[in-house]
Amino acid sequence: MTTHVAFPTQEIGSLPKFSWRVKPFRSIPLGDSDISSAARWGSILGIKDHQGLLRLLSKRSGFTASERRKIVEFSIRYAIGMQETAGRELVRDGGLDVVWSGEQARTEMYETPVSSIDGFEFIGRVRSFDNKYWRIASIRRKPSYAGNYHLDEFLTVKKYTKRRVKVPVTDAITIMAWSDNYYYTRLWSRRKVSPAERSFGARRDFALDVAKVVRRVIRELIEQGATDFQLDIPAATQYQTVEDAKLVAEAFNETTSGLDANFSVHSCFPPRQGYQLLFPYILDMKKCTRFSFEYANRDSFGRGVSEESRPGYSDLRLFREYGYEGELGVGVVHVHTDRLPSVGVVRDRLLYSAKVTGLDPGKIYANPDCGLRTRKPEVAYSMLGLVVAGASEARRSLK
Amino acid sequence: MPVVEGDLSSSGVILLRSIERRLLDGLPSKVVLPDPLTFVDCAEDRHYGSREKLLFAYCDCVLHPELEQLSKSGVKYIQFSAPSLVARFRNGPVARDELTQLSEALRGALRGVRSRTGYHTFFGDASPYLPDLIDILPTDDIGFDLTQTDPDLLPNSSKGIIAGIVDSRSSYIETPNEISRRLGRLLDRSRTLILTPSADLQYVPRAVADAKLKNLAAARDRL
Repeated sequence: MTTHVAFPTQEIGSLPKFSWRVKPFRSIPLGDSDISSAARWGSILGIKDHQGLLRLLSKRSGFTASERRKIVEFSIRYAIGMQETAGRELVRDGGLDVVWSGEQARTEMYETPVSSIDGFEFIGRVRSFDNKYWRIASIRRKPSYAGNYHLDEFLTVKKYTKRRVKVPVTDAITIMAWSDNYYYTRLWSRRKVSPAERSFGARRDFALDVAKVVRRVIRELIEQGATDFQLDIPAATQYQTVEDAKLVAEAFNETTSGLDANFSVHSCFPPRQGYQLLFPYILDMKKCTRFSFEYANRDSFGRGVSEESRPGYSDLRLFREYGYEGELGVGVVHVHTDRLPSVGVVRDRLLYSAKVTGLDPGKIYANPDCGLRTRKPEVAYSMLGLVVAGASEARRSLK
Repeated sequence: MPVVEGDLSSSGVILLRSIERRLLDGLPSKVVLPDPLTFVDCAEDRHYGSREKLLFAYCDCVLHPELEQLSKSGVKYIQFSAPSLVARFRNGPVARDELTQLSEALRGALRGVRSRTGYHTFFGDASPYLPDLIDILPTDDIGFDLTQTDPDLLPNSSKGIIAGIVDSRSSYIETPNEISRRLGRLLDRSRTLILTPSADLQYVPRAVADAKLKNLAAARDRL
C-alpha cells in the first residue's frame, strides 16, 4: 500500500469508542446490543477473528486486567479497520493512506499523558464551557518522565496494519494550558516583575519542562520504529498574545530538538480571528513539515472552487502570503454535526485548497477537521468514507 | 454565537425572569452581565451592518429596559464583565473613538438606573487605557485583572476600584498576607476598593474557589 501521490488521506484525531470498549472500564455489564454491535462491525470491517472478541465479551462483566487489554487491542483493530476500509463502497481504492489507533488505547488526549507524567495530581472537575466539565490535573512539582504512555499503542497498531502509521502526541502547550499551573505560579509569585511577565513566565517554564518529557516519549517511539508524529495543539490559540504564539513554536522546537522523524502539527478551535493569531510565528517550527487545521466547520455545503464558495478556507491564504512551501492537512469534513457534505463538496474543498495555496496536490492531505469521537460509529465511518471519496474525485479532476 | 438577524428589543423582563428573587430577599444582590463590547464581539451581525449601530441598539433597546427593571426590583449592584476590552491579542487596544462610543452607549443604558454599577476588565492588561479609562467609562467602579495589570500603574481615582487580586485561573491559594502585600499602594488610590478574584472562578475546582474567597475576606479584615 503506497500513499497517494495527490491528495493523500489521513485520520486527524480520535474515532468513537464502541460501547463494548467503554463499559468494561466503567464496570458496566455488557448487554445484547453491545455484543451484537461488536459482531456487526467486526463483519463490516472484515476483522478476521472477531469471533474471538465475541467469546471474550460473552463474559459480560467482571473482566480481568488482561481481558481488558485484549478488548483495547480489538478496539484498535476495529479503528484500523474503519480507516483501511473507509469509502470502499464509493471508490475502488478505499481506505486512508495514513492510519493510527483512533485514540482507542487512550482515555482521551489530555488525561492519558498527565496520568503518566510525574508531577501532576488530579484536583477535581472544572468547567470548560456551557455544562461541560473535565478532570483537571494540577502541576505540583517539576514534571518528569514516568513511562512511555504511547509505546504499547504504537506497537499494536504497527502489528495490525501495513499502511503508513502516525502517532499523534499531545503537545506541551496543550498540556500546560489545560492544566492547573500551581507549581510555576507559585515559583513566579516571588519574582519582582510585572503581573503579565509573571503570568507568561509561569506558562513558559511549565510548557518547556513538559516539552522535555514529551521529547523523551517520542524519542523512545522512534527507537521502536515510529517515523511520523503529529503534535496535537488545540490550545495553540488559547492565550492570545504574541509571546504565547512564539511560545507555541518554541515548545514545538524544544520537543523535537535532536529527534529525527517526520513531524506535523494539528490544531483546531481557533477563536473568531482564525489562525492568523499564530502567523508568522508557527512557521518558526523548524521540523514541522505539515500544518493540519480545521476549515470545514466554517464552510458552506455548496459546491464550487471560488473564494465565495469556500468561505471556511480563507485562512489558507496565510500560508501563501508567508511563502510556505511545505505540506498542509486540510479539514474537509465538519465533525461537530451529523450533516454530511457531498463527495463533490469535499472534492471542491481540496481543489480550492490547492488553488489558493499554490501548493502541489501531493502536499495537500485530506482529513476530517478534528477527532470524530463525538460522532456515532456509523457517522464517523461515513465521514472517513467521504474524505477518501472526495480525495479520489479531486485526483480525477486533475487529470 | 448569537446571530443578530433583526431589530434588537426587550420588554425588560428577560433577566428578572432568570433570577430567583425570593432567594435574595434581604441580601445585597448583584447581577453580572457581559459588557456591551463583549456582546458585540461575540455576536454575528447580519442586520445592523456596523459595530457602532449594533452597540447602540444593544444598549438602548436591550440593556436599558433590562437594567431599569433590575434597578426597580431592588438589585443593588450591576457588574459588566468585560474581557473584550483587554483580551485583544494582535488587534491592539480599542481605538479612542470606539471607547467613546462605548461610554456613550453605556451611559444611555444606565439612564435612570439607581443600582451601583461596575465595569470589570479581565484576561488582559488594561494599562494601555490608563489613566483615562476610569474617567471615560460611566460606571461607579472600574475593575482590573491584577494578574495581568500592574497595580502600581493605576491612578488615583474618585471612583471605586475593583481589584481582581486573586488569580482565578490557578489553584495556588494566595495567603491573606500575600493578597495584602500585592495590593500595595492601591489602598491609597481610591476611597472604595473592592477585592475580587481576577475573573470567574469556574477555572478552579469548587474547594479551591472557596478557599480563595475565604482568604480574600481575611485579607480585607486585616486592612
